[in-house]
Amino acid sequence: MTTMDVISKKDVQTVSDPLKGDADLWADFRVVERLNLAFTQTYVHSLGKYSRFFVELENGRFMATRCLNCQRVYAPPRPLCPDCLKITEWVELLGIGTVETFSVLHFSPGSNADVEALTTPYVLAYVLLDGASTLFPHLLVASPESVHIGMRVRVDYSSGPVFHPIHLMRFVPLEG
Amino acid sequence: MPINEQSRLPVIVGVGVTPFASDRLDSNIRDLVTEAVLDCLADAEVTDIRAIQHGLASYESDHFNRQMTLAAVLHDAVGLTPLPTVRVEGGGATGALALRTAWAYVQSGLCDSILVYGGETNGRSVSSKTANQLFALSADFDWEMMVGGTYTGFYAAMMRAHMQKYGTTEAQFAHVAVRNRRNAGFNPIAQKPMNLTIDDVLTSRAVAEPYKLLDCSLLSDGAAAVLLSTPEWARTHSPKFRKRPGVYYVATGCGTDTMRLGDRYPHIANFRAKHAAAQQAYTMAGITNPLKEIDVAELYDSYSGVELQAVEDLGFVEYGRGGSSVVDGLFDLDGTLPVNTSGGLLGRGAPVGATGIVQAIEIAQQLWGEVDPRRQVQNARRGLTDTHAGIGTISVVNIFERRD
Repeated sequence: MTTMDVISKKDVQTVSDPLKGDADLWADFRVVERLNLAFTQTYVHSLGKYSRFFVELENGRFMATRCLNCQRVYAPPRPLCPDCLKITEWVELLGIGTVETFSVLHFSPGSNADVEALTTPYVLAYVLLDGASTLFPHLLVASPESVHIGMRVRVDYSSGPVFHPIHLMRFVPLEG
Repeated sequence: MPINEQSRLPVIVGVGVTPFASDRLDSNIRDLVTEAVLDCLADAEVTDIRAIQHGLASYESDHFNRQMTLAAVLHDAVGLTPLPTVRVEGGGATGALALRTAWAYVQSGLCDSILVYGGETNGRSVSSKTANQLFALSADFDWEMMVGGTYTGFYAAMMRAHMQKYGTTEAQFAHVAVRNRRNAGFNPIAQKPMNLTIDDVLTSRAVAEPYKLLDCSLLSDGAAAVLLSTPEWARTHSPKFRKRPGVYYVATGCGTDTMRLGDRYPHIANFRAKHAAAQQAYTMAGITNPLKEIDVAELYDSYSGVELQAVEDLGFVEYGRGGSSVVDGLFDLDGTLPVNTSGGLLGRGAPVGATGIVQAIEIAQQLWGEVDPRRQVQNARRGLTDTHAGIGTISVVNIFERRD
């Protein structure tokens, strides 16, 4: 008889009844084999009608959208005003704003190469850009102790290389 | 047909649940759901699963389970073929939305009985880093996830806005973390009961400020099942139904809000969707003073501060009073309206597809008077569950009543 070799095998064990009842209903099913499996895939991710925002970041321009009906300005952009159901128009903002709320993150999800490169702790800030009606969430590059609600910040553009184009910008304190 | 047709008002015929654990290494999702379903049928004293007319699968993630069309797999595993089935998904609100769907199926006459089962293996099948990435996929991908956001971070930013607006403190929401884990000690299926002090919570390591490790709920493996039916079906098929007080599923509400927190500005300190869901449910149940008219509630404490926001949005206390009311013990086991008697997401655990279902189970068992005496609310006659997806993107409130 030859030795069978399952290369993904993590372990095989006999486990006890987690229900801890008087009788184990599943006594004949307590041997458990587990495998280590990976699941990676690549795919084409369209930025769709958001695309102009990201394309203009490469030119150092911060774009938002405005509803011609209610005049609300969406940053991040919304192609369709959810209140009026009108198609919006692109407008450029100066890229200066105010921190409305924030969190200091001590645990990174490592969602992409740009995030993997961050050192913890880092600051996730929700910024009300001057001229906008909604809050824009992004990294605020500043010492966590210095960040406060009401802090004035500006968009800082990067030439890359970045993994996701949202990282062509970050917020930094307006002063200094 | 009028909504809330009383002759077809769904009753809870039976309930079943697995122990919740960080790693049920002996079981995959099929095994967990099977355990919960067998437990539910035994509770209802229904011996033939084919007497049931419909199935309903409640689970959030294809990623954690590595299985698409899982509803069909589960339906088959528990012997429900060839009966009809449907899958319901609504993020963190999945289980509650599943029950709400079942409510409508029974009310409409589409079926007289429906078995709602749900589960998840959110525990250690993947690393916590991968789990965070998978959960972050339910945020807005390009704008929230790609910048390095996590759900803990979004909730934390929301809580900071609450602190700024109302003067809420970290010690106030630490009280929720302590109380719910203490309550879990009286619940045999709870994943992680703990006896903590406020200081233990405040000094635990920061995850996303102002939230620390002990403010965060659990990643869990587990499953739960509820059998709903018309009163007539229950009388005919469930001997148990005739032996204990009827628990009726009397009201349900659902509200929604924008995907991104920032799009709600300036409403970023509370859950508008939860308020809307509660108002719908209260109207349906004829409730005008929820603090007085509800006896027990299971709230969505994904983070300790979220419960404090919820008691405001649900109208238990005025906006801004969540912190002080929690500290005053209003929602403790011996308080005016005990909440999260089960231990909540913080202490009992939260396998997503089972969460809203196990909340309803806690309420039903409280109304039946069947839970551990140390957490039993005396003479409880009406209970509420509160669950939401995302950061309050989809919110569902369900209300149950005991009618002797």
